[in-house]
Amino acid sequence: MSTKSVSPKSPRDVVIVDGLRTPFAKADTKLKTVHPAELGRVALRELFARTNFDVNLVDEVIIGNTGSPSDAVNIGRVVALGAGVPQRTSAHTVHRNCASALESISTGFDKIKAGMADAVVAGGTESMSQMPLIYSAEVTKAIAALGGARSPAQQLGALAGLVGADMKAIMGLLTTSPMARAPYKPRISIVEGLTDPFVGKNMGETAELLAKEWTLSRKEQDEFALQSHQRAVAAMKNGVMAEEITPVYLPPNFKEVVEADIGPRDGQSMEALAKLKPIFDRKNGTVTAGNACPITDGAAMVILMSREKAEKYGYKPLARVLSYGFAGLEPERMGLGPVYSSPIALRRAGLELKDMDYVELNEAFAAQVLACLRAFESDKFAREKLDLPKAVGSIDMAKLNVNGGAIALGHPVGATGTRIVLTLMKQLKRSGKEFGLATLCIGGGQGGAMVIQNEA
Amino acid sequence: MEITHEKERNMSIEESIRIVPKDGIALIEFDLVGEKVNKFSTPVMVRFKEVLEEVSRGGFQAAVIVSRKSSIFIAGADIEEIRAMKKADDFKAAISKAHEIFGLIESMKIPVIAAVNGACMGGGCEMILACDYRLASDDPSTKIGLPEVKLGIIPGFGGCVRLPRVIGYQAALDIIVKGGAVDSRKAEKLGLVDGVYHPSLLEARALEFAREVAAKGKRRKTYKPKGAVMAAMELFPARKFVIGKWKSGTLEQTSGHYPAPLKAIDVVDQTYGMSDINRALQIELEAFCEVAVTDVSKNLINVFFLMESVKKKTGVASDVKAKPVKAIGVLGAGTMGGGIAYVAADRGIDVRLKDINYGAVALGLRHAREIWSKLVKRKKIDAYDLNRKMSKVTGGLDFAGFGQLDVVVEAIVEDMNIKKKVIGETATHCRPDCIIATNTSSLSVTEMAKGHPRPENFVGMHFFNPVHKMPLVEVIRGEKSSDEAVATIFELSKKMGKLPVVVKDGPGFLVNRILVPYLIEAAWLLQDGMSIETVDRRYKNEFGMPMGPFTLMDEIGIDVCIKVSKIFHDSLGDRIMIPPVMKKLSENKERLGKKSRKGFYLYDEKGKSQGVDQSVYAELGLGSPSDRLSADETIRRGIFPMINEAALALIEEHVVETPDEVDLGMITGTGFPPFRGGLLRYADSVGAKLICDELEVLAGKYGERFKPCTPLKNLAKTDRKFYA
Repeated sequence: MSTKSVSPKSPRDVVIVDGLRTPFAKADTKLKTVHPAELGRVALRELFARTNFDVNLVDEVIIGNTGSPSDAVNIGRVVALGAGVPQRTSAHTVHRNCASALESISTGFDKIKAGMADAVVAGGTESMSQMPLIYSAEVTKAIAALGGARSPAQQLGALAGLVGADMKAIMGLLTTSPMARAPYKPRISIVEGLTDPFVGKNMGETAELLAKEWTLSRKEQDEFALQSHQRAVAAMKNGVMAEEITPVYLPPNFKEVVEADIGPRDGQSMEALAKLKPIFDRKNGTVTAGNACPITDGAAMVILMSREKAEKYGYKPLARVLSYGFAGLEPERMGLGPVYSSPIALRRAGLELKDMDYVELNEAFAAQVLACLRAFESDKFAREKLDLPKAVGSIDMAKLNVNGGAIALGHPVGATGTRIVLTLMKQLKRSGKEFGLATLCIGGGQGGAMVIQNEA
Repeated sequence: MEITHEKERNMSIEESIRIVPKDGIALIEFDLVGEKVNKFSTPVMVRFKEVLEEVSRGGFQAAVIVSRKSSIFIAGADIEEIRAMKKADDFKAAISKAHEIFGLIESMKIPVIAAVNGACMGGGCEMILACDYRLASDDPSTKIGLPEVKLGIIPGFGGCVRLPRVIGYQAALDIIVKGGAVDSRKAEKLGLVDGVYHPSLLEARALEFAREVAAKGKRRKTYKPKGAVMAAMELFPARKFVIGKWKSGTLEQTSGHYPAPLKAIDVVDQTYGMSDINRALQIELEAFCEVAVTDVSKNLINVFFLMESVKKKTGVASDVKAKPVKAIGVLGAGTMGGGIAYVAADRGIDVRLKDINYGAVALGLRHAREIWSKLVKRKKIDAYDLNRKMSKVTGGLDFAGFGQLDVVVEAIVEDMNIKKKVIGETATHCRPDCIIATNTSSLSVTEMAKGHPRPENFVGMHFFNPVHKMPLVEVIRGEKSSDEAVATIFELSKKMGKLPVVVKDGPGFLVNRILVPYLIEAAWLLQDGMSIETVDRRYKNEFGMPMGPFTLMDEIGIDVCIKVSKIFHDSLGDRIMIPPVMKKLSENKERLGKKSRKGFYLYDEKGKSQGVDQSVYAELGLGSPSDRLSADETIRRGIFPMINEAALALIEEHVVETPDEVDLGMITGTGFPPFRGGLLRYADSVGAKLICDELEVLAGKYGERFKPCTPLKNLAKTDRKFYA
């Protein structure tokens, strides 16, 4: 099939049998009460059903997640058991921030390649609605005391303790300078999670930095955001998105069934986008809530197998995973991660960027995607940053995120990596094209990339 | 030969209860040779007496009683023996012996400790009550209770006397009157046991405990009320009041058809606090004999064996084995589909629902979840259990996952052509060995099998509504159904906690066919001037049905009743005559029964009855009811046609093979009063001749529909019974 220099088919190839995801719903909307383990369970159980997959074959379940819910610390195991994977089968959780669900696939890839496994479930799940508030140590202690109090007298004492601790925190917030308030504030874990712990920059601020350094206009960014919505809405309307989505019946009474993504806006317009104020740099900024991805709830799953095992049991793969690559860069420019990781994955696959029929480049921010596109094309960037003789190549807008991206669909951090591979795989199948690249930037200053080949 | 045989028996009975000395403690091990469970039969009691005497003589410091069976401590007295006894004197002799033996435990100079692991019921419970201390394991199989009233008797080995002394009369009544059992956690709370341990540690802990109490000297613990309120409840006036409440409540619940629980309350009332325990036991003995010889008790014991017998059956005559079932599909996620999903997933089976839209699938999910939620509220399961069970139920609109299913149950609309088409389509998405079962209540299984490319893998599996409460499943064997398919569905029903009965294909199968003439006759009674309240009350209170026929028709749906009656008229002929009122009823599309909140009764939004809709008489063109028929005639007009229909189904058409199966079906499928032993036991108690004569009289008065059938007439002529 291919005239390019990818390796010939081999029994130890890693193939993707199929994949499926829940709808992605903007945080604090319809999926807000659904536990991330439940989101993962729904997607995985349904994936098993749609593929008639024999769960006894699964050697390992690897699930990406960043929120680490305290009631399901190894959430991979909870997802696996809930989805009906046998108790004897091992399961674990991986965390590579925004690429956690790409990490899960790459870890599965390695295990299969190394002969340590023949069937791996990989995926990711995230409920950004449910990321908790973390109280100061003193308040936490007071709450614990209240919970442990048995007699009315003890309860009263504990309550007084809590009020005292709370009052101290409030007084602290009122009386100290902004920089010194940290010990008193309840820490909002989602805000902390979206702030780089090494350089102290919020993710939005890293996007602002790229917008400025690459001189990306507000209009350019808004246009890209609009395109994301338009493409996503089209994919929703013509049934393309439904191919990768399983509905979620909303517990506890199942009165509502969420069938489609909650994020893409049918009526999105440049005027509406233009009205939004920059968030991260109120004076000179260009990054708004409209040209950034929303925080989102959702889960995505794929089944990986060695080619020989898939053939033995009669599972027809949709795609072959050719390679992956991860790379690091300056944390404050994390948005450029794809430019660093993609050449590595492409080289390992024996391919070049121009060979790619479709590219899924995760849309954390319009500015970040546009900066990547420029950097991919830049000989100077290639020489100075990538240690390459010339530019990686260019990506035609007609090949990029053709069904919309995270600006419209949302970015449930721990699930997106699998989502982009899944969307890419389905697009290759639909179009009958051959190669695809899925890549994303990673908070903390990394990039991840994966190259797949259509086998459907 | 006889002598060796006798000797072997003696050897085995000696092995069944052993004394193992453990450093001065006598460990008494129960392990009945050749039996799955430990139980008190006459030979076991004789042996137990020997053991106790040997222990008293043996110079031990204490004794500990344990069981060597894995999930049974002592299951109770041997019910076969009780069943065989006919006369009060037989009971007296056996029970006096037991009193004497348990008296030995009580009067033993050394402390006796029971270490309970597994079911400890009836006589087993009464035995440990005679011990000085009781310890229990926290194994889920450990249950302590007195189920005697369920068999129409009362605890007779001292349970009515000793349990109130150990845990107080209120908690004791709660167990005795309901025939209940408690787990070890509850038992410890009640003071019924003195400590709870892991099953692996129980025996060692019991031996240590025995040494401790032996060192302190023998002591008997009796109930000490906690707090002033509980202490006041012990006083005479309060006690009289509480016991009066128990009596009136029980009387109301049983409509006076079950004498045992009332008798038990009397015994507790009379003996509580009595200083002379022998006199107390004598009172219990007299009361026991009174109830044990009643027909009610005999019938309830028969029903018990009837239900037990299903456990051993496979549903087929050959030795073909059932296939294991791990995952099932359910087509149609309505009330039936949701109920089936619940009973399957509750027993660990994966369930895939399929319906035509997401809302319909969601309805099935909701139905199942609501039942589990109620169990969570009642603390029967916890939230984790709910999530785990719920995760086994999934659903969609297509055949996704059907390749993994072992069985598919079809519960879609009752339309032969649609069903055939769907079954054929389903088969193409399943493995060739997957069995498809239809939950039809009125269509022919043999005909429907024509829609299946492999009709040998097709059977009927008829659940009753509400699925989670009704224990009966009719497994309908079509002409081409294979033994393997029948055995698999039979076993699956058991796994779902149901009592399956294999029936031949035919209109209404077994239970509905027998029930429908009864429901139609209720409508005739209405036509003839009887009031809805009176008819319902007579069947419920006087005859003992769980609800009257009009209430039942409201539950089923009046439209469904009319539809089914028409089908039965077409297939069964003039025995099924639809009265004019019923035709008239079908004209009002709003009077559908409970589901439309208006039927013979009115219902509030929660489905609670608001009394008879008095406008119904005028609507049906009836005058105000005269209630002119006697209670006897009212009841006979409904019950005797059922017997007539059952005679035809059993004797002539062999829908089932034995009267047992008819009775099991009627009790578990319609709630036919168990104290009557079932429809055909009841018929036998009345006598075929009387029934035939009465049917002839009714036929003369009201029409041919009452004409007795040939098989019933033959029984009457030759003076035979259904049960030979």
